[in-house]
Amino acid sequence: MATGGVVSDLDKGDVLGPVEYTLSPFVVREYSHAVEMHHPCFQGRQGDLVMPPTLIHLDKLRLYRHACPGGTGASARIHFEYDAEVFEAVRVGDRLSVRGEITDRYAKNGREYAVLEMKLTNVDTGRLVMRYLDRVILAYRSASRAA
Amino acid sequence: MNAEISKPGSEFALAPRPMTRERMRWYVDAQPTIAADDGRIHTQEPTIHDDDDYARRQGLPGIIADGMISTNWILGLLIDVYGEGVAGRCRLRTKYVAPIYEDQTVITRARVVDVAPAGDGLRACRLDVWCEDDTGTKLTVGEATVYL
Repeated sequence: MATGGVVSDLDKGDVLGPVEYTLSPFVVREYSHAVEMHHPCFQGRQGDLVMPPTLIHLDKLRLYRHACPGGTGASARIHFEYDAEVFEAVRVGDRLSVRGEITDRYAKNGREYAVLEMKLTNVDTGRLVMRYLDRVILAYRSASRAA
Repeated sequence: MNAEISKPGSEFALAPRPMTRERMRWYVDAQPTIAADDGRIHTQEPTIHDDDDYARRQGLPGIIADGMISTNWILGLLIDVYGEGVAGRCRLRTKYVAPIYEDQTVITRARVVDVAPAGDGLRACRLDVWCEDDTGTKLTVGEATVYL
């Protein structure tokens, strides 16, 4: 169990969260604006707004903050893979619960990788609305290929 | 519906975008701003995406873009082509196979692979998706499924 420390110490089997929150219009608009998605479903009136699926990437950071109060660790972490599936639209005002688990940690070509699998659930309906797999390189110093 | 959007081999692209320092920083600043969720801008400690000295200390030649920027540009292209329903049901997988450096030109592309019945009267449209530079070198690669 490596929660309670820094992100780079996370290990297979570690559970992050669950953390509950309510999706706000500010979050949807701000994120979409930052990545130049100016579609009305992301930048329009409050009643029209849905969550960009990619916003789940910041739920990963939400879980890290919750589980790893010590921060990133000594080396920068590099995101290598995003894999998300959306089962139904998530709307502003929805009460959500996000939970993650480190399902793998391994070394390849001298780099340490970690795989985090996350589930996003609508608290009121109990339905799974998104699942997400995130693969990161935990220390980049010797790396030369990934972004 | 435009038949082209479900025709295998059809290809779509965004206009080329330079990956400017500002675009990288917008994603960096969005993270603490969204975490605070108080309507104000917030900043964070230096990252490899907005601080050259910090990036060099991590073994990089300079700042590189967060991979999620290219993933979001791909998502934006899919919504441009297939509509806002993509945000409510889809699968998108991306891998960041090469760093994207400051001012590098990025072209976001998608190509229809096939379309198959997906139940409930829907069809699943599978696409190859990627971002490449202006020499055709792939920077981000992946696949997507949208429902028609």
